Order: sequence, then C-alpha cells, then structure tokens
Amino acid sequence: MKPATLKILGKPSSINVRKVLWACEEIGRPFVLEEPALGSAEFRPLNPNGLMPVIVDGDFVLWESNTIIRYLANDAAAENLLPSDARARALVETWIDWQATEFNTAWRYAFQALVRKSPPHQNKADIAASVRDWTKAVAIVDGQLRRSNRFIAGPAFTLADIPIGLSINRWFMTPIENRPSFPAVRAYYERLSERPGFMLHGRNGIP
Amino acid sequence: MLKILGRKTSVNVQKAMWTVGELGLPHERADLGGEFGGLDTPEYIALNPNRLVPTLDDGGFTLWESNTIIRYLSRTYGHGTLAPADPHAYARAEAWMDWSLTSLYADVILTCFIQHVRVTAKDRDVAAVAAAAKRAGEKLGILDAQLASRQFVMGGQLTIADIAVGTLMYRYFNLPVARPSLPNVEAWYARLTQRPAYQAHVMIDFKPMMVAGA
Ligand SMILES: N[C@@H](CCC(=O)N[C@@H](CS)C(=O)NCC(=O)O)C(=O)O
Ligand SMILES: N[C@@H](CCC(=O)N[C@@H](CS)C(=O)NCC(=O)O)C(=O)O
Repeated sequence: MKPATLKILGKPSSINVRKVLWACEEIGRPFVLEEPALGSAEFRPLNPNGLMPVIVDGDFVLWESNTIIRYLANDAAAENLLPSDARARALVETWIDWQATEFNTAWRYAFQALVRKSPPHQNKADIAASVRDWTKAVAIVDGQLRRSNRFIAGPAFTLADIPIGLSINRWFMTPIENRPSFPAVRAYYERLSERPGFMLHGRNGIP
Repeated sequence: MLKILGRKTSVNVQKAMWTVGELGLPHERADLGGEFGGLDTPEYIALNPNRLVPTLDDGGFTLWESNTIIRYLSRTYGHGTLAPADPHAYARAEAWMDWSLTSLYADVILTCFIQHVRVTAKDRDVAAVAAAAKRAGEKLGILDAQLASRQFVMGGQLTIADIAVGTLMYRYFNLPVARPSLPNVEAWYARLTQRPAYQAHVMIDFKPMMVAGA
C-alpha cells in the first residue's frame, strides 16, 4: 500500500517547486513540504543534480519538475489533467516541453536582470534581446489561446496550464517597459486566478 | 504513412528519426528549415506555431516538440521496449529526457555547437564555449555515474532516455571542445554508434553546415 502522504523537497518560492505544489492541489494529493539542504550528503543520493524539486513517494524518488507533475497526474489517473490516450496526452505534453525549452530560455536573462537585479546580467542589449524573445514567446501563447479557446491545450484546464500559467505570472510580475498587451493572455491569467491552486502557488506575489 | 517534417541535419529532427528507425516504422521525411526554409508559411505555422522543426504527421495527427514526439511514438509503437512498461521506470526515463533539455541542451547545442558551426572563428565567443563545455562535462559526470552499472541509461535495454540524451552525444564527442574523462558515457556512446538507426539518422557529418570561416 502506498503511504497517503507524498514528500516534496523544495522551497515554496522556487518556480519548479511551485509546479509540483500546484499540481498536488489540482489532483487533491496530500503532501508534506520540506526544505532540503541541496549540497548535503542526505540530499545528493536523492538527486545527483543537487536541485529541487524532488519527490519521495513511498520508496520511489523522482526529480525534474515536469516529469514529477506528469508522474503525479498519471499515478492519480487524473484523465482531465493528463489523458491516457496517446494523442490527447501528447498535445498536453507539447506545451510542457515548450515551456522548458523555448519559453524558459527566452526570459532567463531579462528575469535575472529585472527581477533578481543580478549584477552580471545588466547588459542593455542583452536585456532587450531577452525581452524581445520573451515577448515572442508570449505572443505564441496568445495565438494558441485564441485557437484553443480558454486554456493552453484546449477548452479545458490540463497539466500544461501549470508550467504555462506560472510563466505567465512571471511575465506580469516582471517590470517590463512598454509591455505589449496580449488580451487573450490577460484573460487567461484572470481565468487561472479562479483556481485556488494558482492563487496559492502561482499568483501569490512571487514572480 | 508517418511523416517527419524537418531537415535531417537538425539535432531535434534526428531524435524523431532515430526513434522511427529503432521502431522500424515506415515513414517519409520532408526537408524543411535551414537552407530549405518553409517555416514561416501560414500552412506550417498552423501545424507548428513555434516555427521550428521537427513536426510529426501521423496519418493527419500532427505534433511538435521533439521529446514529446519521441514519447508519443514510443508509447504508441514501442510500449515495453523504447517506452518502459513499468510506470516508475517510465517516469525515471522521462526525468533523463527532461534533464537533457534543461541541463545539457543549452550548453552542448546552443553554445558549443552553434558557436563552432554557425559563427566564424574570428567572432567565436571562446570564453562562453569553454564555460559551456565545462558545465556540460560536469553534468555528464552525473550520467557517467548512472551508466556505471548499466548498458543503457535505464538498464539493459535502449529506451526513450537514451534517445533524448544520446542524440546530443554525436555532436558533443565530435566538436573540438575540452571533455573530462567519462569512461561510462564513452562506452555507452560507443554502443550507440554500433546501432544502424543511430548511424543512419544521428551520425551525420556537420562539417557541411559550417559557415565560411568557422
Ligand atoms: N530542470 C529542473 C531544474 C530545477 C532547478 O533549477 N531548481 C532550482 C530552483 S528553481 C534549484 O534547485 N536551484 C538551486 C538553489 O536554489 O540553490 C526542474 O525543472 O526540476
Ligand atoms: N524545442 C524544440 C526545438 C526545435 C529546434 O530548435 N529546431 C531547430 C533545428 S535543431 C530549428 O527548427 N531551427 C530553425 C531551422 O532549422 O530553420 C524541439 O525540441 O523540437
């Protein structure tokens, strides 16, 4: 028998940990959250990368946030979040991968500069290039929302809305000069805000 | 018939092609992207709003993002072989796929590869390449430990994890970058190079892609 309580190792302010916390809310999976000592001898065997989040589900240990949320949805047979039909599932997975590859890559420099105020990230041209790429990515979300109607992978909320929703929160929380307005993205942000999980772990004041 | 849209020199197209090759699926491939262009047409954008390759067309069902394509093909046509049947093993294999995207891809492809192939020697950011190669070597040390007791990333059999990570290895081992000693990764890579589908779809010389003066 599986123990009822899932252990999540991570800080609630980290965007990759927030994916897992929000997914648990959507699934209705109880959990305990513990802050790990990333470099410690206890943590390394759990994740040789020394990064969070990590989950411990009984004797099963897993790292990589996007993999973790897919595992949890699958384990709970949460068909609405991650369908078992291969095609329907793949259409959800596309947007999860896209967040990891393109979206996340686009904002990295600008986010370090404008939110973290990181000294090595203050080159004006590099900030502008990153904001440009970031804007292009948000425009892709905007276009997709117009087609898909309401949520990123279709008319209903799915697992893909978790990484995309957190990324959109980051977009609105970052001070960007002359931020172009994307009405479908704005409406989506408000639509996600009807979900308690998003208000708790997404739109909670943390970029 | 299965159709893959994308030039064969793209590392992300190669992931899909290697998968199709391992599964022995009848397929055709159309040249798109790079010198062939075709990514900015309304028809293509309707299939792939990200305007990159690959895109898969499986009898009218279209899909993009290379790792998603690998998983879709393997779940559909390779359940129990490329896609581990046990849900825990499957999730662990997925973790290595994500790891390839988030820990290796930027350093190995976007920096080491692009800087050597798409940038002239004169304009190359040598410091950025050295830093990226160093990080990639450290990350591959983690894979080296995983492979210490395994033939393939997940164990005795080739899976989606090998495909996602292994496609990058042909470039990693053939670029003039500093590499630490990685005995288990090197032995695994040597095993991959023995596979006909890897030879046919991944071991594609990238010298012809180099810009003049690179
Ligand atoms: N690809 C990994 C990335 C994990 C990651 O980068 N985690 C960050 C926090 S968001 C981390 O642990 N950083 C080390 C630290 O905060 O000290 C995932 O998605 O789980
Ligand atoms: N995240 C995407 C990235 C795809 C990508 O970057 N494709 C490159 C080739 S490797 C591309 O389409 N470049 C433009 C071109 O070939 O014209 C995936 O994994 O499928």
